[in-house]
Amino acid sequence: MRESTIMKIHYGTAIAAVALVAVHVMLRVVQGFAGSLEYESVVANYRFVPYAIMLELILVLLSVHGFNGLRVILLELRQGPRYERSVTYGCIAGMIGLIAYGSRTIVMVNMGMA
Amino acid sequence: MSGIRGMADPRRFGIERVAYWLMRLSGLGLLAYFVAHIYETSNILRGRVGWDELIAMTQTTEGHVVLTIVIGMCVFHTVNGIRVMLGHGGVGVGRPARPDYPYEPASQNYRHKAGIYGAMVLAAVAMMYGMAVMFGE
Repeated sequence: MRESTIMKIHYGTAIAAVALVAVHVMLRVVQGFAGSLEYESVVANYRFVPYAIMLELILVLLSVHGFNGLRVILLELRQGPRYERSVTYGCIAGMIGLIAYGSRTIVMVNMGMA
Repeated sequence: MSGIRGMADPRRFGIERVAYWLMRLSGLGLLAYFVAHIYETSNILRGRVGWDELIAMTQTTEGHVVLTIVIGMCVFHTVNGIRVMLGHGGVGVGRPARPDYPYEPASQNYRHKAGIYGAMVLAAVAMMYGMAVMFGE
């Protein structure tokens, strides 16, 4: 993929994530910070489908943005075909792993397994 | 100093270089927090006891201080990121001109400097608000 396209994705995921994370944080503040972290409240959040979808979107957006940012930082430090390939594939693996692990939590709690 | 070390020296090249470092450090910090947060929230699958154990571990003074730093990093990264995006889109970088002595780059103007200082101030305000919420309860 062209680097210009990757940077457009980087900026797009950033803008979308800012909007969704703002909603996520606002809900913590509105519910009362300590109260919103109680077990029943957290499980209720996960079981409310629109909120679960929002959490999944935040997970994907921030994973893509975060691991691409890490890739950019690592490529600034050193260059070379083998190094660049290792960094790119390493970051893609990290991103997929994190999305899979986070999605597992969202899906399992949403389906009543917690 | 020369090469990458010279380029990276935050004491040279003004506030823009400080912003460059803060952007990268806050990005790495936020990624580390995000990974930890995904692991932390997965503890809900351990049931009420597991969740309450984890919350008791994080809802401490140290936990609140870490979260306050995360809030600061998040706000700085967001506001400075918007500045960088606008700059890449050509907003606020001035008109291209012939490089004459003392070779001041048009892109490093007061608008972008104000953006960097603004990001720092907003991060500090958000940290204070976050502390008021967390320590106020």
